[in-house]
Amino acid sequence: MSISRRKFLQSSTAGMALALFGLSGKAESASGKKYPSLRIGNIRELKAGEPVQFNYPDSTSPCTLVMLNETAIGGVGTLRNVVAFSSLCPHMGCPVNYKSGRFVCGCHYSMFDAAKNGQTYQGLASQWLAQVTLRFDKASGNIYAEGVEGLLYGRISNLNIS
Amino acid sequence: MSLFTRKDRLPIPPKDAERFTTVCQYCSAGCGYNVFVWPVGKSGTAKNNAFGLDLSTPSPMLSGHSYTETMHNVITRKNGIKYNLAIIPARESRINKGDYSIRGGTNAIAAWSDTGYTKKRLKHPLLKKGDSFAAISWADATEIIASLIKSSIDKYGADSIAMKFFDHGSSGVGFEDNWAVGKLFLSGIRTNYLSIHNRPAYNSEVWGSRERGMHELNYDVDDARLADTVVLWGANAYEAATILYTEHIMPNLQGASVDEKKKEFDAGEPAAEGRLIVIDPRKNASVTVAEAIAKERVLHIRPNLGTDWILANAIARIAWENGWYDKLFLEKRTDLKTFEDYKTKSLQLSRTLNEVLAEAEKITGVGRSEMQQAAEWIAKPKAGGFRQRTLTIYEKGIIWNMKNYDQVAAIAQLNVLTSNVGRPGTGCGREGGHQEGYVRPPAPTPGSIYAGGPPKNVDKYLTGGGARIYWVGGTDPYLSTPNSQFFKKVLKKRCATLLDHIDEGGVPSDPKELIRRVLDGFEKTDGLFMIVQDIYMTHTGNDAMLILPAAAWGEAADTSVNCHSRLLRIYDKFMDAPGEALPDWKILSMVGIRLRELYTAAGNQEMADRFKEMDWKSDEEVFLAGSHEFGNNKIPETEEAKLSAECYKGVTHQILRKLGNTGIQTPVRVDPATGELTGTKRRYKYSFSTSDGLFKWYGTDAWSGYPAEIAKYIDNPTYPFWFTTGRSQLVWQTMYHDRHLPEKSFALPLPYIEVNPEDATRLGIKSGDMVEVFNEEGTSVALVYVNDACKPGLVFGIMYHAKGSMNHLTSSYTDPKTTMPWYKGTKVGIRPYRGTPDEAIKTTSLLANNDVS
Ligand code: SF4
Ligand code: FES
Repeated sequence: MSISRRKFLQSSTAGMALALFGLSGKAESASGKKYPSLRIGNIRELKAGEPVQFNYPDSTSPCTLVMLNETAIGGVGTLRNVVAFSSLCPHMGCPVNYKSGRFVCGCHYSMFDAAKNGQTYQGLASQWLAQVTLRFDKASGNIYAEGVEGLLYGRISNLNIS
Repeated sequence: MSLFTRKDRLPIPPKDAERFTTVCQYCSAGCGYNVFVWPVGKSGTAKNNAFGLDLSTPSPMLSGHSYTETMHNVITRKNGIKYNLAIIPARESRINKGDYSIRGGTNAIAAWSDTGYTKKRLKHPLLKKGDSFAAISWADATEIIASLIKSSIDKYGADSIAMKFFDHGSSGVGFEDNWAVGKLFLSGIRTNYLSIHNRPAYNSEVWGSRERGMHELNYDVDDARLADTVVLWGANAYEAATILYTEHIMPNLQGASVDEKKKEFDAGEPAAEGRLIVIDPRKNASVTVAEAIAKERVLHIRPNLGTDWILANAIARIAWENGWYDKLFLEKRTDLKTFEDYKTKSLQLSRTLNEVLAEAEKITGVGRSEMQQAAEWIAKPKAGGFRQRTLTIYEKGIIWNMKNYDQVAAIAQLNVLTSNVGRPGTGCGREGGHQEGYVRPPAPTPGSIYAGGPPKNVDKYLTGGGARIYWVGGTDPYLSTPNSQFFKKVLKKRCATLLDHIDEGGVPSDPKELIRRVLDGFEKTDGLFMIVQDIYMTHTGNDAMLILPAAAWGEAADTSVNCHSRLLRIYDKFMDAPGEALPDWKILSMVGIRLRELYTAAGNQEMADRFKEMDWKSDEEVFLAGSHEFGNNKIPETEEAKLSAECYKGVTHQILRKLGNTGIQTPVRVDPATGELTGTKRRYKYSFSTSDGLFKWYGTDAWSGYPAEIAKYIDNPTYPFWFTTGRSQLVWQTMYHDRHLPEKSFALPLPYIEVNPEDATRLGIKSGDMVEVFNEEGTSVALVYVNDACKPGLVFGIMYHAKGSMNHLTSSYTDPKTTMPWYKGTKVGIRPYRGTPDEAIKTTSLLANNDVS
């Protein structure tokens, strides 16, 4: 594999300062801990089909925010077409890339439908891609990450358990 | 928001969790897994746990440690206590190295859980009473079956009993259950109307290779990394034997195994990145993934349906013409007498190369340049005159092709002609569907039409009114048998006729009275008493009289070999079966024991003796009993070809537990020099499995068009499309587990077809539409995916699905030499469905599964 995980993490966070965590996340994890609420973008800055990287719920978890050309399960915005997913393949943790409505993993070619809850429609990942729960503030156009549905790759728990 | 409840945290196995090794319950790859069981409420910590890993920091990518949402479940043991169950891919397995597929990744959530997805397992023997099933005791079920079998044999002969049973390993059965099936049906009942789970007869799928002296499991998984060229012929490895592809074929293509090659190859022999030839009418993901990696080293050949043996012979002729064979090998290792027949009929040496290739082009639709390219990659010596190393892996595209025997023989012979057997990086064999675990007394039909065959077609026997009792074990022929709409219709009627007769004057409650009325029904009607033995209720089971609940994978200790290394391992018992469900061998044992008692009581010692030695007490006892079938295995390595491919004599469950994921490769020998049990890495280095050790050639048939069952559709505009079937990456077999798992039922909600965009436009359909697919055999309703996997004029359908079967459309044609059906070729018409599309399409992906760009 030519791309190291570290390199990928660097590139996915490049040019993007870690935004401040809000104090009260909405979703609660099975651990009882709360997910942070994090502003990850503004709908006016998004262009359909052009993904934006962010980290959530902590700095070691790269995620992708994208506006699709169609209504999506879990989508927000007036057209319910803005979704966010973990950027790590749930199969064995390689980075997934957004392209034409789906995420493709370059390691073993698992493919996840971005409009359909991140379902694996081809490939090896028995777990679907973890989807980030979003909140949309109509007035400001801000989009907030407020939880994660599904386990992030390589973790025993999405929220730190150390 | 999520379509189903997702987890964001998993329980941690404590250090003292119970540990077992196991093998994936699904495909032929046979990936290794580790199992952890610990009481609910107990937990390890991030730093102190049974995985031996620091879980407080996320695992790096490709670490080989995976523990995902689908790898955990909560189970209940017979003691009533709930336990956590974690089943994770084994890093230490040389088969999968911690990798796993979408099927095996669900081993844990598919385990029986009374609080999870798999609640609906069968828990008690069920007898049809009136219009529904009622639970009965094992004692009554055994008495009913044994009494009916005995009376039926006594009155109508053994052929009045027909059966269809698994013969594979994995999927919850192994050598243990197969030996029991063999003892009851082959030693005991001795009916000629036996059939194997996925076909209408009791036959090898590859007599075309075996009768040459080459068993189909002859290579090692390492050979897929060592080969100069891998050929996948009618074998969609990426989707059907996934880890063979991603851990062995893919690294070879990527050049990651060049160093391994250098070690294994001869001094000075060139070692480079591998090449892949995919011979398949479809551009499936096995093609597109490879092309995404190294397009220039991938050759995709798309023959017309049914024509592969003509193609194999044409490639062989090119190799012959160029002298790309080893004369010494042919003289020393193969039978030169039968070679003449091969030269005449298969290579057609009396005709010019041009004539042969021109005709082959016309029949197969494959261009001459592609044939030439394939021959070069398969056989042309490398720089320095070193022989090419080619591994050819074929599967159902060949086995379930028209002319099963000739197809398999032609491919086996192409590989032997080019000496691609017995050396590292070579071999020619099956990809496999399940794993294997066959040990039985000899079958009534020893071989093809050239060796005592062909075997009986049980489907035709049943639909023609034959048999009084039909016992189905671990398979669902209503979905899986060819021409199944007709098959179902007749069996449904025959079962209903018997039920009507039994119920006349009230439903009998006493088993003795039931037996009396069934026997009376046998006399007076053409009624059929159907028994279905399985882990869930099945489509076939709905029409059965009696349902027997079997234990599944993990609920008994079973053993099998995988298909790409013949690697024998144990998949241990780590949980209890639900309710009163029993291992398959145990069910068969109870019936065998009772039959022996009944025949003894009747003073018929000869018949009683046929059912002896069936009173095994444990999984291991059956395993050991079967091992005697293999004969003497104290022989040197040079004589390994004399051994049966799956010989495990001398191995015990205890030994296999110690070997864990390492296992041992069959055929297992007792080495005469050391006295040690020794595995066989690769077969046929020294000789072939024939009496004189020489490979036996066979001259294949010439092209003579399509059989009548298909010929009737040619040039008939009502059925403009060629139709072929196959599997999906996402699900296993009839989806017996998958239909209950949300990850699978959302992603693959309906039976489907794949249609080329050109055809879709012509039909006015798009992805997500529903259509009716039809021909004179039957009709199937399907969801449409439009993609470019098929060329215009060809349509692909999933072979069967929990919600319907494409085998309504397949014909009843079988190869007259082997009784093997042509599941993968017929012609159909397509009628768009104009109503509201199925609700399911709102939540399922309609994206093209072969587009990885
Ligand atoms: S490739 Fe086959 S054996 Fe391996 S995990 Fe997948 S289904 Fe199981
Ligand atoms: S890591 Fe993504 S498919 Fe394997």
